Amino acid sequence: MAEYQLTPMPVLGTQSVRIGKNSIQPRPDLATVSVATPLGGKRTLESALKENLSINFPAATQTTHSGDYRAIRMTSDHILLVFTRATPDAESHIQGKLNGAGYSTDQTDTLAIIEISGPDVLAAMERLCPLDLHPEAFCVGASGRTVMEHMGATIIKTADQTYHLITASSSAGSFMHAVEASFQYTISA
Amino acid sequence: MSRTNHRVSDGLVDRSKTLKFNWNGKSLHGHPGDTLASALLANGHKLVARSFKYHRPRGIFSAGSEEPNAMVQLRRGAAQEPNTRATVTEIFDGLEATSQNHLGFLEWDLMAANDLLTPFLSAGFYYKTFMWPKTFWEKIYEPMIRASAGLGRLSMDPDPDVYDHGYLHCQLLIVGAGPAGLAAALEAGHAGLRVILADEDFMPGGRLNSETYEVEGLRGSDWAAATFDELAAMDNVRLMTRTTVHGAFDHGIYGALERKTDHLSTSGGKPRQVLWRIYTQRSLLTTGATERSIAFGNNDRPGIMLSGAVRSYANRFGVAAGKKVTVFTNNDDGWQTARDLLALKVEVAAVVDTRTASSQVIDGVRCIFGRTITNTKGRKGLSSIRLDDGSRIQTDCLAVAGGWSPNVHLTCHQRGRPVWRGDIAGFVPGDELPAGQFVAGAANGTMTLAGALREGHDNAMQIAEELGKGKSGTSAPAATDENFSITPFWHVQSSKARAWIDLQNDVTTKDVKQSHAEGFHSVEHLKRYTTLGMATDQGKTANVLGLAVMAEFSDKTIPETGTTIFRPPYSPVAIGAFAGRARGKAFRPYRLTPSHNWAVENGAAFVETGMWLRAQWFARPGEKGWRDSVDREVQMTRASVGICDVTTLGKIDIQGRDAAEFLNRIYANAFLKLPVGKVRYGLMLREDGICYDDGTTARFSETHFVMTTTTANAVTVFRNMEFARQCLWPDLDVHLISTTDGWAQFAVAGPNSRPLLEKIVDNIDLSNEEFPFMACAKITVCGGTPSRLFRISFSGELAYEIAVPARYGDALIRALIEAGEEFNVVPYGTEALGVMRIEKGHAAGNELTGQTSAAQLGLGMMVSKKKDSIGSRASEREGMNQDDDMRLVGFHPADKTVQLNAGAHFLTKGDPEDMTHDQGWMTSVAYSPELGHSVGLGFLKRGKDRMGEVVRAFDPVRGKDTDVMVTSTHHIDPEGERQRG
Repeated sequence: MAEYQLTPMPVLGTQSVRIGKNSIQPRPDLATVSVATPLGGKRTLESALKENLSINFPAATQTTHSGDYRAIRMTSDHILLVFTRATPDAESHIQGKLNGAGYSTDQTDTLAIIEISGPDVLAAMERLCPLDLHPEAFCVGASGRTVMEHMGATIIKTADQTYHLITASSSAGSFMHAVEASFQYTISA
Repeated sequence: MSRTNHRVSDGLVDRSKTLKFNWNGKSLHGHPGDTLASALLANGHKLVARSFKYHRPRGIFSAGSEEPNAMVQLRRGAAQEPNTRATVTEIFDGLEATSQNHLGFLEWDLMAANDLLTPFLSAGFYYKTFMWPKTFWEKIYEPMIRASAGLGRLSMDPDPDVYDHGYLHCQLLIVGAGPAGLAAALEAGHAGLRVILADEDFMPGGRLNSETYEVEGLRGSDWAAATFDELAAMDNVRLMTRTTVHGAFDHGIYGALERKTDHLSTSGGKPRQVLWRIYTQRSLLTTGATERSIAFGNNDRPGIMLSGAVRSYANRFGVAAGKKVTVFTNNDDGWQTARDLLALKVEVAAVVDTRTASSQVIDGVRCIFGRTITNTKGRKGLSSIRLDDGSRIQTDCLAVAGGWSPNVHLTCHQRGRPVWRGDIAGFVPGDELPAGQFVAGAANGTMTLAGALREGHDNAMQIAEELGKGKSGTSAPAATDENFSITPFWHVQSSKARAWIDLQNDVTTKDVKQSHAEGFHSVEHLKRYTTLGMATDQGKTANVLGLAVMAEFSDKTIPETGTTIFRPPYSPVAIGAFAGRARGKAFRPYRLTPSHNWAVENGAAFVETGMWLRAQWFARPGEKGWRDSVDREVQMTRASVGICDVTTLGKIDIQGRDAAEFLNRIYANAFLKLPVGKVRYGLMLREDGICYDDGTTARFSETHFVMTTTTANAVTVFRNMEFARQCLWPDLDVHLISTTDGWAQFAVAGPNSRPLLEKIVDNIDLSNEEFPFMACAKITVCGGTPSRLFRISFSGELAYEIAVPARYGDALIRALIEAGEEFNVVPYGTEALGVMRIEKGHAAGNELTGQTSAAQLGLGMMVSKKKDSIGSRASEREGMNQDDDMRLVGFHPADKTVQLNAGAHFLTKGDPEDMTHDQGWMTSVAYSPELGHSVGLGFLKRGKDRMGEVVRAFDPVRGKDTDVMVTSTHHIDPEGERQRG
């Protein structure tokens, strides 16, 4: 047995940033697992999701959630599951629920999640996000994949004035800087 | 002349507050609501600029963004901004403004001597001069031209201001908050559309602020303010003043520049300007019209202004542009200027109408019909005008009304061509509007107020219906149609003196005539030859006049002459705004490996590989340069063990029942039968048979593979594979997802890599028997952390690559280094990595250039003939399989004390140094600390048959010519005993 212990270090740390009345909070507590639909196996996967995680397969640009689990539709045959899990076994945890109904890949360390919330969140996102986030066009539960400051990103509206931004972990530092700048440039005081 | 003498009313400025600003070192006063131009006029400053070429005295000509004359320099130091239009610059306390383009004082510009050289400075003079003597060009002509070119000056310091970009979405974008725009916004807002109303002015209302007409029983400016307030209360309407929509692009996207803090003394760290991309479902252009001049002798003197501008200064800013004003007009609108000035008790010397009669006669004013102005007097300000009957009128301000040109620019940004309407003597939008675009008001040729209001309202109503909203029930705001009658008159041909068409570029009627005489018959050629319509104003006041005069000279009609192409931006956009926040460290995103912080702590020098920052080498105290560090890292790795962060290599998770078959089709070599627990080197070809990437793929289960690509091609490989999956073979059950960022991966190389790793891994036998070369396994390390272990080698040594979830990467590198202390472990960077791969003979980016085949790389045998894969058939083409083709070889200098440089070309000894005898080139060269001399790789004709031959490495760029001996590509351990050991 090795004599060393490895301590995890989240790419964005755990500290939130407050700008004005807004909060920018890294969410290393959330795990992400991608689940792809086997060819011809959509119904089986949908059943497995429903029976074991109580979530529906989300429609395009939408998310579904139940309890701690949220499913984000990424492509026609691919969803991303987001849930709370601190240990590095998110993929095997999900596979244990799906029993082979989907191909799963742990994305917890591939992606970084930032939660932004506050009264200026829409104004800040106007400087960063090319998508239309007007409440009529992007309601709670909606998701979209886009590019922000040259970095690929997925945005999810989790509540009024609250969004999750998901981006590549290697460039998460630059992404965080872009998010902070967007708030700093837009808040009035 | 005192300031108060020029204020004739409060207008729409706030006279209760006073703002102090600085003009050419003098402290002056203005009021909130003033532009720099109105404040200068109020302070009696008529001469504000010098012209571009002749350095003629120039004054304020217009009251908007079309201004060709009053270009000034704002602010000081690094924030200094040249070529800013005084007519759109809001004054604020502390504003510093200076005139530009003069040598010495503005009033006594030494460069005004150019005006005396007029005969030599006609259109296109620079195409015909500066030819002789040849030697004068670099030493005299070019420096002289450079010194005198341009208008303002940059500070040459970095711009201290912040700029930003942004994205907006709406159902209806209304461009222009004049009467048509406001009426449209009201209707659309009430109908429930998501509306953006943008206007370049800081005060919404457009011409309503400059006129005395009434709307809904209110003075136009009051109605505009009340309407704006009403719109501001609507949640579905976004009002954007100080915002110029500068371009109409594909798919309903518009570009807009919002000037956020230009009107403030400090930006407070916020962006000064924001460049918006506005996504629209429909757009409505209510951009109004721009007045134009009439060409007559010396029509460029300070005090000669557009008639509508004189009205703007009087009605909106409460400033009389002169004490004794004359109006020169060819239409009814010019008479309104006289009426408004009289109402403000400004003396009107005369109204000169080129028409023989008009219903607009004003009692008590000298009305002159059927006459023209042939010349003017007054060097630094107008003093008198002369009519074609020889009579002279004393006047200090001439308001010229040559007609209005609809602002059709945004209708033409996608190659639409405007069409001529004779009744208004102007171009109006053609039939080919950008998708979803509507036009209303003066921009559409509807030149009266009531008509504009009605058209704006009706267009909005139609758009609301198209977008599924009902009618709001409101009706168009009520107003009266004013008189608008014009008889085109462009050019006083009896004028002997120069008559200006384009004030900003000093283009006269003579220049247009000369251009035509010299064969430049196309209006596009006219523009390039004379510079008519170029620069900051893009000929807004000059283009129509210019082409009308050209039509006269060419005996064509104006429609036959046509217009030049309209291109974005409508008005100038600072380069800083285009750059946005992408400056300095934020120029582009950085990708950092999980060991980045540790590498920083350990003195790494970093290199950018794509967006990644990779450790290049780790300097140690006492080392005199990078070579010392790299040599040490190579030697210590080969002697014991070294560790390199290879996280940046692309990693693709491949799963599915058909994953093996999929890989078999992607790679040129066989993958179908790769056993579980094994890794294989793979070669990828493009459809044309050329190699484009290589790497390894590990099989963890029957349905699960993990591919590694080169760092540079990670995205390209993933994209190509996804294309193949979705489009070429949708019947295969296979799924791909990138995990590049998910795993921190380290190469552990050297004879002591095994004992080092044995201190890290949990319960796995790393012996050669249990975990041989090209084995792989999912394991745990350091007491349970999930990990992947690969026994692969890029260095030629006994080596492994170990991966952990990225969050543990920092901890793992620290654990590996600590565990390796007893083995004298060394971290190594990309330079040492490169040296070792050259020593071992591995092809990399220098060899996989996208131009080399498998055969050339010596990997021809890898292209399986037993199966079909992307590029395999194409790679069998005759031209790619010739015996005398290039082959990858190794080499070292014949004299081993000589240092080599990559890039040299091979020549057979005794052959001349020309391309006919070119035998190939060096691709990679390194100093091998293991061997004590330079080694390299390169492509050589018939290379595999020339082992041991000495050829020349000819390097004309560096002036070197070195004999090198051709060898195997494997400079060390050619049998591979170390990596299998």
